[in-house]
Amino acid sequence: MNLNLVLRSIFSTFFLASVIRICTPIILPSLGGLVASAAGVSNMALEGIMLWGAFTGVFVSAWTGNVWLAVLAGCVVGVLVALILALAHLKFGSDRLLAGLAINLFSSGGTVFLMYSLIGEKGNTSTLASLSVPNVVIPIIHDIPILGPIVSGHPVFTYLAFFLTWVVYILMYRTRLGAHMRAVGENPQAATTVGINVHRVQYIALGISGLMAALGGMSLSMAYLQMFQREMAAGRGFIALAAVRLGNGHPVGTMLSAMLFGVADALANQLGSMNIPSQLVQSIPFITTIIALAVFAIQKRRTEIERRKKYSQQDTDELAVETE
Amino acid sequence: MKKFLNSKNVREFIRILLALGIGLSLGFILTLFVSEEPIEAYKAFLTGPLSRLNRIGDWLEESLSLIFLGLAATIVFSAKQFYLGYEGQMILSALASGTVAIYFPAPSAIRIPVAFLAGIIVATLWSVIPALLKAYLDANVLISSLMMNTIALRLFEYLLRTFLQLPNTNGIMSEQIPDEGRLSSFIPNLPFLAETRAAWSKATNVSWMLYVAIAAVILAYVLMYKTKFGYEIRAVGANEKFAKYGGVNVKKTIVASILISGIFSGLAGAHLVMGIIERIIQGMGFGFGFEGINVSILAAGNPLGVPVAGLFYGYLRSGADVMERSSDVSRELVFVVQAAVLLLLTAERLLPTVQQVVETDEAGEKAEPAKGSVK
Repeated sequence: MNLNLVLRSIFSTFFLASVIRICTPIILPSLGGLVASAAGVSNMALEGIMLWGAFTGVFVSAWTGNVWLAVLAGCVVGVLVALILALAHLKFGSDRLLAGLAINLFSSGGTVFLMYSLIGEKGNTSTLASLSVPNVVIPIIHDIPILGPIVSGHPVFTYLAFFLTWVVYILMYRTRLGAHMRAVGENPQAATTVGINVHRVQYIALGISGLMAALGGMSLSMAYLQMFQREMAAGRGFIALAAVRLGNGHPVGTMLSAMLFGVADALANQLGSMNIPSQLVQSIPFITTIIALAVFAIQKRRTEIERRKKYSQQDTDELAVETE
Repeated sequence: MKKFLNSKNVREFIRILLALGIGLSLGFILTLFVSEEPIEAYKAFLTGPLSRLNRIGDWLEESLSLIFLGLAATIVFSAKQFYLGYEGQMILSALASGTVAIYFPAPSAIRIPVAFLAGIIVATLWSVIPALLKAYLDANVLISSLMMNTIALRLFEYLLRTFLQLPNTNGIMSEQIPDEGRLSSFIPNLPFLAETRAAWSKATNVSWMLYVAIAAVILAYVLMYKTKFGYEIRAVGANEKFAKYGGVNVKKTIVASILISGIFSGLAGAHLVMGIIERIIQGMGFGFGFEGINVSILAAGNPLGVPVAGLFYGYLRSGADVMERSSDVSRELVFVVQAAVLLLLTAERLLPTVQQVVETDEAGEKAEPAKGSVK
């Protein structure tokens, strides 16, 4: 393997542009995962909701010929599926993880089942004339060399992903609802005593996470590719959950972590075109995720130990004061 | 009668039956929507596995795989660990034991045990990373084990293509396992059984893994309920902090519970390659690993319930295959049904009718003698 060649291709404009394109379907569900986690109801069904979003977008766009109607429909379905999870967990007392697994099973099976019933295919919808969202060409910047190709000309969803990162930041830290979500996530009992309707807040949080995951799914089927494939989320819903952890629950941190996974993904694509076994290279994003989980866990443990030290220091100080 | 209904197990059983009933009804409603001949299709789904000897065989074969994986999931879930890496463990085990079964030049009596051992070792090793990360760093085991599954699929494909690929074929597959490496029929080779054995062997591959599965169920039960180790696993599952104060080494128990499950997913893989498919092929996992989880939930975490749940889901699975072949409904219907059942079973407050009826009765019974004593 020629390392020089690898390095050169990594620092090319093409590579950076592909990172930005590839990280979109990870950033969007990550933001959804963040909102749900912040409200204390970490959403394990992102993967399945992405599939429903991707599926609905493709079929509605093919039937109506209207891209925006399709995006809207995908969002509605995503929110509905998320609300099934919310209902099961909040109203009927399901274990959140198991309910999430059930939704994922329902999604991977249900989308293929419907695809077969509707068009008689089980693998993908390549026979269907579905649409993709337009690309955005930013005036002026587009013509700047190097910067232009990296930043401009991506599908709408890519810009939406970065815009929504900002929106989620505002939502979480500048609005009443966001403050309520964080309060509920931190301590539901305390939130109840100050008059916050915990379940209502959690319903909303899960609904938002469904919306984001559906957008992420559509960025796969209506931008990255122009069709639906079975299992096309390919673990991104779970990688998104890892990104939320690694980003420590902060929107910008989460976005950057999601981009890290995007880099791993793009790297896999890049190396795949060289003389390296593609199956091994394709594992890079998943290995990165495991390493990221470990790094996050170590980090968390360190801060906890420090915090404990601080408290025990305070305790001994107080004791000293008392004995005096 | 009331006492009978009061028993927790009976209540749980009724709840499971209700969930299955609702799930299957939902499946029928969906069939009504998508099929030209819904009644025929659903009939094929529900009665298909029994219609021919080879289909009964398919049913039993798939059920055996599900039983092994269900046992693996049951042990891990008893410790309340959301480890889901069974699919990856199973296919890598199939790869390892398949390779031994094909290439290890030894008679059956040595070749097959070595193949089993190879599969079990590989399956166990594959769970080490998520187990250690969970126990010692508290890293999310659900995510890490799912990632390991995906990596396992890639690794499987790479090894198969690079080292085992049969030349001059279109499919990605190894050569066939020779007779010395195959598992023989579950019907013993006795003179008076010769005819039955011949009939079964012709139609199906149901092997003596049937007995291994029975032994595995008993082993898992004894392990969970008759040994200190099983007690510790359940203690950790019930309350980690409590277990810790009670002197259980929580970290070791978590790691051990996940590693032990490797035995069972390893057996599933060995069975898959030596008993069912008889060669290593791309995509041989069929998502069994995830269905093992459903089996475990349906069995309510009891090893003795796993064979019943495994046979049931195996039945649905092979029924769905028959339905897909004989009608216009796709076999993925079975996953929708399973998802509905899973969701209903986990929803503690959704099917409370039975519980409520019994509880009000209970309250009534208690209240009456109290009145009597006042008089």
